[in-house]
Amino acid sequence: MESPADIKWTGYSLAERDWRWQRVRESAAKAGFDCILVPLCVDGRNLHLSLEQARGTRSDCRFLTCFDNAAVILPSDGRQPVVISDQESGNDWLPEFRPVEKSWGESMTRALLDAGMERARIGVSGVRRGFYTHGRAFHGVVNHSSYAEVLRRLPNARFENATEVVGHARYVKSAEQIGCLRRGAAIAAAGIDKMIELAKPGIDEGLLYTRVMQRMVGLGSEYYPMAFYSGLHGGGRLPRFEDPTEGRTLQANYRIANEVDAVFGGLIAQEQQPIFLGRIPDAWKPAIDLQRDMYYAALEHLTPGQPFAQFMDLVNSFGEKRGMKSQLLMHGRGYGDDGPLFTPQNRGGRNRDLLIENDCVFIVKPIAHSADGTFDTSWGGCVLVTENGGEPLVKRTPGMVSIS
Amino acid sequence: MPWTAPPGAGATVHIWNGYSLGERDRRWKAVKENAGNAGFDCILIPLGNGADGRYMTQLRCSAMALPTDGRAPIIIADRSSTNAWVPEPWQTGREWAEPMGEALLDLGMDRARVGVAGLKGGSVTHCSSIDGVVNHTALEYVKSKVPNATFDDATDVIGFARYVKSEEEIAFVRESAQVASAGLDELIKLARPGVDAGALYSDALSRLLELRSEYFPLTLTIDSIGAQKRKRYVNPPIGRRLEPNALITNEVNAIRGAQLTQVSQPILLGKIPDEWKPVIALHKEVYEAGLAMIKPGTTFRALSDFVNGFGAKRGLKTVMQLQGCGYGDDGPLFTAKARSDRVRDLPIEKGNVFVWKPLAMSADEKIQFGFGGPVIVGERGCELLFKREHGLVAIV
Repeated sequence: MESPADIKWTGYSLAERDWRWQRVRESAAKAGFDCILVPLCVDGRNLHLSLEQARGTRSDCRFLTCFDNAAVILPSDGRQPVVISDQESGNDWLPEFRPVEKSWGESMTRALLDAGMERARIGVSGVRRGFYTHGRAFHGVVNHSSYAEVLRRLPNARFENATEVVGHARYVKSAEQIGCLRRGAAIAAAGIDKMIELAKPGIDEGLLYTRVMQRMVGLGSEYYPMAFYSGLHGGGRLPRFEDPTEGRTLQANYRIANEVDAVFGGLIAQEQQPIFLGRIPDAWKPAIDLQRDMYYAALEHLTPGQPFAQFMDLVNSFGEKRGMKSQLLMHGRGYGDDGPLFTPQNRGGRNRDLLIENDCVFIVKPIAHSADGTFDTSWGGCVLVTENGGEPLVKRTPGMVSIS
Repeated sequence: MPWTAPPGAGATVHIWNGYSLGERDRRWKAVKENAGNAGFDCILIPLGNGADGRYMTQLRCSAMALPTDGRAPIIIADRSSTNAWVPEPWQTGREWAEPMGEALLDLGMDRARVGVAGLKGGSVTHCSSIDGVVNHTALEYVKSKVPNATFDDATDVIGFARYVKSEEEIAFVRESAQVASAGLDELIKLARPGVDAGALYSDALSRLLELRSEYFPLTLTIDSIGAQKRKRYVNPPIGRRLEPNALITNEVNAIRGAQLTQVSQPILLGKIPDEWKPVIALHKEVYEAGLAMIKPGTTFRALSDFVNGFGAKRGLKTVMQLQGCGYGDDGPLFTAKARSDRVRDLPIEKGNVFVWKPLAMSADEKIQFGFGGPVIVGERGCELLFKREHGLVAIV
């Protein structure tokens, strides 16, 4: 792969910007909003329910501005957005923006008034969890003091939840976004290769963690913590770490699970690869085979135009024929906390009627359980929805890697 | 009614949590005292305020209701997380507003004066978050559960507890400063003309992780020494190789024991231009003279007036740049933009830890030089933890 200095990508085009703004405007107008407000959101270090959720807190502003932090007022009548930010300088998309004055609340209020929204119907993105975005943030991601000031100072405006308006615009990816996710997936796969190269009994887990991160950042990924699990099988749930560990050494017969994410162009790609430091026990093999077959079947059925219901049922019942249990584990990929979210915890039930669409990108990593329930495994990666089904963004082979 | 982790809750994330129970009790006592003095019945650390939550619980994600009358707090923890400080928290999955409201009701706070930490930017914490860090929808729900309670900002109640470090904390500040310095050493070792800037970033960051720093972005600017508009990188630069006469400015951050520190020293891939030398010399003077003033009793007004006026005698400019070390966004915060007016009369105290990195500039501000790192305030003065020789590192 190219090293960072040799990468030619210089950022998203102005056409991409206009495409995103137009998608949001159209959805907003259809929903009857006069404008969409992406207000100041809490930073991800402070609002940190999970890696995905934390990265997702300010994802709407990144989607609309490519700034790390901004508030956006996008009128649905075609006018240009008003952007407020504490960034030091602008970018190609927004060379000029309004700096934050005394407070974000005051600056957002003034911008809404200047845009003529004193009596408007204003759609607010991120105020609650959504189907397509902010799915893990049940209470949304919006900063209290600044938003409360806006509500107080515009008593005649109506503020309503519009998380889905921006969410649906983010749900379908452009060719530029798919290109970035493809590179991200390849970088994540390179991180996995590094893990497979180094993981062996006796190695310091923290050092292994560091080397995987070094490989991915050294290929141009933004830093996004890897989720790393390790331990002997049968001792309960493996502990999860998101920083280099201290005082832990890999041992023979350890299982390693991971979520290896790379971020390119602001978009999070993920690949996942279970590893076993020993010969894979025969008792595990039926579940590993089931997981592989289920993954390939899922790709076949990940076609546009159908609701998720049938797809969910296919995966969740896939193991039954073999006397095993299977579960859908899958969610969207993008700027962070992308949905819809299907996990063993939430079962994805609220998403049954949502449509699978062309050019969506998901991390697909279904779980297979052994017949006796003592073993489960998940393998997966980024998948693009095409007319012909799901297309993995990077070619890898499902299964568990054995390192003897 | 205690909450327990919902069935099938996701994996619990393990984070460092090595402070003693004595340290927990010291922190809780300091916060209770500050809260009592401010007339609060209870301090609420709500969803969104991760930094104060971690300071009070050592948990990665938590909310807390701490009565000031001496009763035990109710702590709400993420999924199945517990630790020695918090052996039996209420546990929740993704629903936080309901247990926060219930916690206040269980503690009898339905008509109380509740201090909310993180509602606004504080004097010495949450300094760059001028509108605070609290989640809107969750707090509004909590308020609706206790409609007769009043909610006021209490950011400084916890802030001033965080402001003075214990011996346990200072031990980790020292480790953190050592790790940050090692990261800077790595940058200096590897920065050469022709080197891939992204690989340099990755290698320096990896050095910090290898020494078991928690992740915090490494910040670099990489521009020709004469450039006026500098681009700031908090991720690996793409499409760039280092060129001769590149000036690399940096903020190398490390976290050990949850204590964030920072060191900073510019690196030049070439010979130092003569016109930079008076600015660097001026910086050395103001840096050292300022250090001599950092001791208990000195107010930030005295220190900042001294630093900000220092350069004028030479026809140059100097600006105080100082920030607190700790759990993140610590203050007070003094930069070219942020003057922290409300803490100007605050005296420096023993146990404070700051990043001290004043800025010296030419009169037209085209040449700017900053350098510095963490200092610990002791009985009579301060101890400098950043040991590198003063100056611009020139790699010829």
